[in-house]
Amino acid sequence: MGDTLPMIDTDIHPVMNGAHMQACLPEPWRSRWASGSRGPGHLGYWNPNGVMRSDTKLADGSKVEQAAENLSKHFMDKYEFSYGILNPAGALHVGLSPDPDYAAAVCSAGNQVVAEDWLKADSRYRASIVVSPQDPHLAAEEIHRCADNSGFVQVLMPSGQRMPYGQRFFYPIYEAAVVHDLPVAIHPGSEGVGVSGTPTAAGYPTTYFEWHTGLVGSYLAHLASLVCEGVFVKFPTLKFVLVEGGVAWLPPIMWRFDKNWKALRQTTPWLEKPPSAYIAEHIRVTTQPIEEPENMKHLHAMLEMFPADKMLMFSTDFPHWDGDTPDYVARSIPKSLQSRVMYDTAAELYKLPEAIDGE
Amino acid sequence: MANKGKQKIAVAKVGEIAVGDRKLVDVDGKSIGIFNVHGDHVAVLNVCPHQLAPICLGRVAGTTFASTPGEPLKWGRDGEILACPWHGWEFDLKTGEALADKRGLRKYPVTVEGERVYIEV
Repeated sequence: MGDTLPMIDTDIHPVMNGAHMQACLPEPWRSRWASGSRGPGHLGYWNPNGVMRSDTKLADGSKVEQAAENLSKHFMDKYEFSYGILNPAGALHVGLSPDPDYAAAVCSAGNQVVAEDWLKADSRYRASIVVSPQDPHLAAEEIHRCADNSGFVQVLMPSGQRMPYGQRFFYPIYEAAVVHDLPVAIHPGSEGVGVSGTPTAAGYPTTYFEWHTGLVGSYLAHLASLVCEGVFVKFPTLKFVLVEGGVAWLPPIMWRFDKNWKALRQTTPWLEKPPSAYIAEHIRVTTQPIEEPENMKHLHAMLEMFPADKMLMFSTDFPHWDGDTPDYVARSIPKSLQSRVMYDTAAELYKLPEAIDGE
Repeated sequence: MANKGKQKIAVAKVGEIAVGDRKLVDVDGKSIGIFNVHGDHVAVLNVCPHQLAPICLGRVAGTTFASTPGEPLKWGRDGEILACPWHGWEFDLKTGEALADKRGLRKYPVTVEGERVYIEV
């Protein structure tokens, strides 16, 4: 692997230096951060394996994901990635804080640390501008502030939320994103955290296992909202990335969506095409955690049921516990999709150079 | 293929690996973990059958037994279950079998002669 197949990893989680974060925060948030009251935290669902992989510790006691040079050496070099999209996950949870000013300040500090500690360190890195959606106007300001740095190639928000992302409340974020031609992405992990709604429509699950399995529901709700509310009619150039939300659920939902449209389209008359057409054009999904049916031909069949060649992008989710390695994913998908999934679709979305043939 | 080319290699001294502990050895380029499970030595290829993670870097602990919903969880088998550091798949160190998958660990026969622990590779 890597000798002939160029690869872009669309979901890497670097860990920001806490002291640098603190130094980038204005008061009173610097004092708040220093006191240890950093955000809404998490629900406390227990993963016996930990959420961060346990085998990334280096000889000096630090972890691979904590410094740009170590991530470059022990991850980017090891797998021979051409580019990696950095999605700092810490500030995502803070985005569900009830205090929109604090949340925006932490996101802003995090983006500054990414720019200074990570984007400058390695030309293979690109990053997401993390924003707190609780105040979409502050989020838009943050997008405008960061967008001049060409290392930022995406806007990132938590998929845990108090209302679906198609609602007009969030339009300032999408307006700012399209001004700079940046895709908007959501990432899971904060379902049920802070001011988010319950992690599932049925309420609070009991275990991490149950919560994690049900994350698909959050993605489904945001997808239906984005399409029905006409976000892609209002913002025809907007691309929306469903990071780590699963893949195989998509085709049956597209069928259900199109069937319903035929009967109910008068309630959303701005939709002049079947919902699946908007999805194919505007939605991108990432591979990890790739579904693993006993018969992998079943996964291949699912990948034939939607335009996976245009929508699906490879991701590792490094260093989270449920990550995928590039060789595993490349082997899991049909050969005909490999170059699209492992590189081309992401290169088009994030405006990265075309793949250089490895031959 | 049976025993062709198999060699017996000393990998540790008796007492070197404490109960519950492990030692990684390199045998002809293969990384192999030697575990001391309640006094018995177990040798395992350092590759998880799922996504090829370094399984021998995972935690060794116990696990829950099957139980009835709503009743207290039952814990046991301390020191016998190896969990992968990537995806948490659990393996029985005594048999090499996974607790929730058909794929198992690659194990090597272990013998103790005198003061030395040998594996057959």
